[in-house]
Amino acid sequence: MSAVFALTALSLKLNFRNRMAILYGYLFPLVFLIAFWALYRNDPVPLALHIGQLLTITVLGGACFGLPTTIVAERERGVWRRYRLLPARPWVFIASVLAARLVLLVTAALLQLALGFAFGMPWPAHVGALAAAFLFTAFAFMGLGMTIAMLVDNVPAVQALGQCIFLPMLILGGVAVQLESLPLWVQHVSVFFPGRYAVEVLQRSFTGTGLGGSGFDLLALALIGFAGAIAAAGMFRWDRSFSPNRAWLAVAFGMWLVVGAAAEWRGQVAVSGLADTQPVGTPRDYAPSAKPSAAGWHAVTETDFDTIAFDRLPADQGIVAPVSRSDAVPDPAIVPLLDQIRDGLPGWAPGNVPDPVQRTRNLLAVAAVPDILEMEQVERFVPRLVFARLQAVIRPQDLPKILYWIAMHPDAGDDGAIHQLGVLGLPDVSGATRPVHARIMIYAFKLLGRVTGKTPPL
Amino acid sequence: MIAALTVRGLTRRYGAVRAVDGISFDVAAGEVFGLLGPNGAGKTTTLESILGLVRPDAGRIEIEGSAASAPACAKVGAVLQSTGLPDKIAPREALTVFGAFYSAPLAPQMLLERFGLAEKADAPFDTLSGGQKQRLALALAFVGNPRLLLLDEPTTGLDPQMRREVQDHIAAIRQEGRAVLLATHDMAEAERLCDRIAVIAGGRIVATGAPRDLIAASGAATLEDMILRQTARA
Repeated sequence: MSAVFALTALSLKLNFRNRMAILYGYLFPLVFLIAFWALYRNDPVPLALHIGQLLTITVLGGACFGLPTTIVAERERGVWRRYRLLPARPWVFIASVLAARLVLLVTAALLQLALGFAFGMPWPAHVGALAAAFLFTAFAFMGLGMTIAMLVDNVPAVQALGQCIFLPMLILGGVAVQLESLPLWVQHVSVFFPGRYAVEVLQRSFTGTGLGGSGFDLLALALIGFAGAIAAAGMFRWDRSFSPNRAWLAVAFGMWLVVGAAAEWRGQVAVSGLADTQPVGTPRDYAPSAKPSAAGWHAVTETDFDTIAFDRLPADQGIVAPVSRSDAVPDPAIVPLLDQIRDGLPGWAPGNVPDPVQRTRNLLAVAAVPDILEMEQVERFVPRLVFARLQAVIRPQDLPKILYWIAMHPDAGDDGAIHQLGVLGLPDVSGATRPVHARIMIYAFKLLGRVTGKTPPL
Repeated sequence: MIAALTVRGLTRRYGAVRAVDGISFDVAAGEVFGLLGPNGAGKTTTLESILGLVRPDAGRIEIEGSAASAPACAKVGAVLQSTGLPDKIAPREALTVFGAFYSAPLAPQMLLERFGLAEKADAPFDTLSGGQKQRLALALAFVGNPRLLLLDEPTTGLDPQMRREVQDHIAAIRQEGRAVLLATHDMAEAERLCDRIAVIAGGRIVATGAPRDLIAASGAATLEDMILRQTARA
């Protein structure tokens, strides 16, 4: 056992003497974190809703690049051939390499979390679950890394093969791009990559319900890691002059297919319907037969409502003007912000102006701005708060008429409220406000459909 | 008396080529036994078969009377043609870590001093000279206090002064009663160090004996002439 510890300690020391290893192992994860922080600057809480992605990228990089690069470089130089002359079985060397890599991954993740906390990221909801999820993720990807290490002969080949796995996993596997933003067919592709399960189990541990409901994700990671370990053991070689039996790859990557097929069989692959990426358009797109009215909102009648094609509106589950389902539960990380908005709306000055049309327009802006800013999850829960508030502060007989008027005149009125959202905990909007008008229009149509009974209730 | 190393009928093929073809020899404790022959004769394959780096197709290998296995290999130290170590490892670290694999390792500091590496004990491997690297390889072979040392061309590529240093260390090893199997191209080295030699050609041993006896028996003027004659016949 002392040999394992000695070799592990040596591996760690050598790693810290290698500038490139430090760069890839520690600096890159921090750069990714800063990039995500900048990219999702309008999130309700900094970084928390993306930590599953960030930690997965860290493990993926360390296990699929760092680990095989170290092993292959040493094998190329004859280090492992020299190790073979020592009186110990191969597992001693493998165990020490993996133990050292795990230490590097854990320290890189802790450093990443520390910087996240410095940026205001909240403490994880389930620390123990997060640690367990991280270990499962590390196991899965180190199995993959070992498979790569045994397969290829030289370091450039590690980089090439690593990229072939790394990039599709980032883009199509739900790691760098959230599943909600991917087309449905890509979501089906993503279940065949281990990255999706890693992101889900890590994210659920950080901001969600912990490991409850993560049984399949954990099993998927364990199976993928186990298959990788078996394949790597089958192809193990001390010396590059021996060719590995590539048939073992079928075990490693076959398990990806098995896990993906099982996920498809279980269902729950698609996380949202994403068929509504069309431009928002103009009022005419939703009310093509409406007659121009100059008489003001009081003159709106129920006949006008019949001109609206509510079925043309973007789906509530989409990314344009979304509205959460009535039974949807917000992520605990955004609950404080939703509470702040709910509690702040009654005292929010723009939501209490005397003119009921401007008041309605201002309140609809509270829903429209998070949508424009693509604030994760918040954008679909805030509309429900706004709709409830509108029904409380606008007379029921006036609300449909006002909503219709606003929807048909999205560019009228005053935009001052858009710049007073800070007291509700929302970001201030700079630049053109015209896109916000369009989202106000859509939300006005959506609420109109509900209050008139022409679309299902919220 | 049990030989430190016994090799019987060792055979190793690479496709249709017999790299080693039924080689047999013994190495006694306190003896330096040389393997000489041209490139491709089978010297390195013989050593690598004994060390377990190459799996022989046939034959028997015994170390102090026991079949070569992990416990038996703990009694063997080896210097390969090129020593693979990480660039940034220091000699003291390498000796400490390698020592962790043995039940009774020799002290790193003692080995550093014995092999003239004390001043470079904490220098990265990639900053050592060729001679220093080779002396470190010898020190690493010594870590487990071995009864048998297998040295594959340990002085190749070294300048005369460094070659002499390494040869002095090998001579000292013999004085300690350890057995040495030395593969070399250097005739002067073989004459100076080896008690007996085996001349290998085409994977077979074509002559065995003390260098002086072999020269006398063949009628050649030098060991080099004798080997050229023997290998030409093979």
